[in-house]
Amino acid sequence: MPEPIQRDFLDPAVLGKLLGLPLNARHAMVGNVSGRHRSPVRGSALEFAQYRKYVPGDDTRRLDWRTWGRTDRYYIKEFEADTNLRLCFVVDTSGSMGYGEEGNTRLDYARKIIGTLAYLASQQGDAVGLFAGTTDSPREIPPKRGPRHMGVLLDQISLLEASGETGLVEAIHTAAEKNAQRAMIVIVSDLLFELDSLQEAFQHLRFRKHDVAVFHLLDREEVEFRFDRPTRFLDLEGGPSLLADPSLIQRRYREAVDAYLDQLNDIVNHSVIDYHRTYLDEPYDQVLARFLMGRNPKTARSAK
Amino acid sequence: MSFLQPILLIGLPLALLPVIIHLINQHRHRTVKWAAMLFLLDAKKMTKGIARLRQILILAMRVIAIAALVFAASRPLAGGWLALTGGKADTVLILLDRSASMEQQNLETGTSKRVAALEKIADLIEKTGKGSEIILIDSATLAATPIADVASLADIPQTSPTATTADFPALFQKALEYLRTDASGRTDIWVASDLRQSDWDTGDGQWQLIRSELSARETVRLFLLTYPEVESDNVAVSVSQVAKRSSSGADQLIMDLTLRRPPGEGGETEVTVPVEITINGTRTIEEMTISGEETQRLGFVVPLSADDKEGWGRIDLPADENLSDNAAFFVFGDPAIRKTVIVSDDPTTGDAIRAAAVSGVEPGIRYDAEILSPSRTSTIPWSETALIFWHAPLPAEESAEAALLRQHVESGRSLVLLPPDNPSGESLFDFRWGDTITKESQPLDLGWWRTETGLLANTRSGSPLPVSDLTLFQVRLFDGETQPLLRLESGESVITKLVTEGRGNAYAWGTLPRSDFSTLASDGIAFFVMIHRAIAEGANAVSRAQTRPSSTNAIPERERAETIATAASDDSLTEPTLLPSAWSIPLSDGGRRLVALNRPQREDDLRVVADEALTPLLEGVEFRQISDQVDSGSSLASEIWKAFLIAMALALLAEAALCLPPVPEQRDERLRREHPAVGNP
Repeated sequence: MPEPIQRDFLDPAVLGKLLGLPLNARHAMVGNVSGRHRSPVRGSALEFAQYRKYVPGDDTRRLDWRTWGRTDRYYIKEFEADTNLRLCFVVDTSGSMGYGEEGNTRLDYARKIIGTLAYLASQQGDAVGLFAGTTDSPREIPPKRGPRHMGVLLDQISLLEASGETGLVEAIHTAAEKNAQRAMIVIVSDLLFELDSLQEAFQHLRFRKHDVAVFHLLDREEVEFRFDRPTRFLDLEGGPSLLADPSLIQRRYREAVDAYLDQLNDIVNHSVIDYHRTYLDEPYDQVLARFLMGRNPKTARSAK
Repeated sequence: MSFLQPILLIGLPLALLPVIIHLINQHRHRTVKWAAMLFLLDAKKMTKGIARLRQILILAMRVIAIAALVFAASRPLAGGWLALTGGKADTVLILLDRSASMEQQNLETGTSKRVAALEKIADLIEKTGKGSEIILIDSATLAATPIADVASLADIPQTSPTATTADFPALFQKALEYLRTDASGRTDIWVASDLRQSDWDTGDGQWQLIRSELSARETVRLFLLTYPEVESDNVAVSVSQVAKRSSSGADQLIMDLTLRRPPGEGGETEVTVPVEITINGTRTIEEMTISGEETQRLGFVVPLSADDKEGWGRIDLPADENLSDNAAFFVFGDPAIRKTVIVSDDPTTGDAIRAAAVSGVEPGIRYDAEILSPSRTSTIPWSETALIFWHAPLPAEESAEAALLRQHVESGRSLVLLPPDNPSGESLFDFRWGDTITKESQPLDLGWWRTETGLLANTRSGSPLPVSDLTLFQVRLFDGETQPLLRLESGESVITKLVTEGRGNAYAWGTLPRSDFSTLASDGIAFFVMIHRAIAEGANAVSRAQTRPSSTNAIPERERAETIATAASDDSLTEPTLLPSAWSIPLSDGGRRLVALNRPQREDDLRVVADEALTPLLEGVEFRQISDQVDSGSSLASEIWKAFLIAMALALLAEAALCLPPVPEQRDERLRREHPAVGNP
């Protein structure tokens, strides 16, 4: 009998707390069913959108007689169409995502964020997909709705493993291409690679009019570099190890981190990315609450 | 560099501990799985230059600190001089100037130049020269004395104070003799001296030989520890021309008393000095006023009692900077006949000399002269003769006559060799007659003559003798190492002083007081003076009251001699003949000879060999001069462990400064400000 897949990255208490916060897209989404997100097409929702001149062939039931009475002309009254959201996660599963203590790695943190957001999205009827970015075993789950698909997705999230070199940029390009219609792309990664290629990937997503959010997962140790004795650093992505005396290189290391963050800052600003640098010691529910509230026009100010 | 505890230097490898610990640390690193290799690689790339240098400097400072600690514990020694010695010598030769002038002392501490020099050299050897063979050659005895315990260097008889003069050419010759026969390996020669001109005699012909031999010895290093400072308030006393006279039926003692003091600021003021005069144990005090550098009381008269037919006396001054020149001894008795013997077959020469020799120059003294044929030399009254003129072929080297002539000179009498018509070819005192040159063959114009000492020296008033008035027609040249007194313009010596042993002097005159040889007889002043100076030099030896310079062989009859009085203190280690003293020597005729020993007069010469003169004197010799002062407090080898401790402290401070962590920054806040965690929501 196969061993049941653990889904301990889902915390009912956190889910209960966050259920009250809707996941909103920043732009109009194109969905295939009715939902709670704005759509670029006009529909029959209650919210008025605009008046349009009548053309032959239009449904005469949508003529606004009151306007005819005032102007003696035929106008069609249009309303906003609400649709569902395609939420697509792009997860970096390279070896560097395995950083951290057993059971509390960066990938574990990513699972919690993805799992929780996926659950919240499915609860509001959105389609959820997953692209795992690794060169070893790229994983693609197109966005779909329904409890069964959700089960499959959560299982796949559970089965993610950190190994090999990063394939995040390729995964982003794939996600951009595979989602022909507007979607919300949530990228979860440590972004520990050369950033030049990342800018192109972000531009690709923007070209496709996707709403992009990035959870940049970092450990404070990686930023502060507070080692005090010679240390051999083993590359989690399989590269050669490096012996270094932290007292000698600490300053330069921090300068390198600052330069990296400067460059990343430029990229996300230029690409208008919803960027969230997240330290692994931060409670993920707070990170998600901040994320969700930031996307809600009514609560955006208090989220900052 | 030398160390008092060199065994501790084995701890020097400990200085490598920081390097070893560093290397161990490098191998005892911990291993961390790391994701942000990107930053590490960048940081490593940027850290190759200054940080690496900083780390090397930190390690170097740590190594220096430990090394300095080990050095400090080993008690290193240094000194301007020691650093140049280049390590321990196999043999250390100490040439000690024991002359009277070395007794100049610091009045506050009582330390003399001699003691200061000895203490410094002993200190140096104790610190650095353990294991070296220490040999002392002192100027008074010229004997090489091995020193077993260098700590007691200043407490042995060979280094005790004397009233002698030093002969540095002879001292260096003794050192070279020792080097030739006994020394091997590296030798350091330490010379302790006050550089008095009279002791160094820079005009001595031996210096050339000394220079060449010392410069040829590559393993010899010469160090001059000098004390050229001249005392400022010292007064020296000397007595000369002591003669007993009878005047109006009463005996009296006539003497020349001289008080000298150094030139300087006090030289213009008059100082009254109480002079204590003791004659046969009876003391009187005479006040003498000294003005300028020298005061002489010529013909100072001291009345004698009827019982004082002969006896001794001493002149004492109060204690001052130099105790060794505060006492002068004298003896007196009936004056002896000053007899001259002329050995010649030439009546003209003999008569001329006799005429000059019997002419009295000092009242109360009888002069006598006798002409003997060379065949009658056996009848020469050797013991009564003060001066012999030898106008005959030189006797054979091994002959009895030659031996008698040598003994005559050694006993303090005078000898003048005159040119024979037919030289024998024999030599005496390494002197041999040569060819005759005449005015016809070459000009015999007189050139130079020695005016400071010798037979042709200037008069007491400083006037030169009328030597230039002389005309020479014939001169017989000679071979041998001599000290010229009169030279022709062409360089040949006419009158010269022979190198002899003993107290007397031997001279050779290359011309005769004859009209075919010279105008010595007709222009007779120089001739007369020369004869009487030679007689005076030899007269002391025939007198029963003699004054001699202090030296080890001043009293050859030491076994039967008896000390009457001495300036030595009760606990003095010094050989009595090296100090001012009065002696009684029994004679075979039942009488006795009284001898007074005093420091040589030239010891009162305050001139110092200048550095400009010292350099050419030792030209070609690798030497280093250390001009010191009594009680200067400096050491030839001083411990410098403090300097190493300071170096260690400085190294640790530098290391701490290099290890200082960068100023802590509020990185979280800065990151939040410069790199917002949230962007474009």
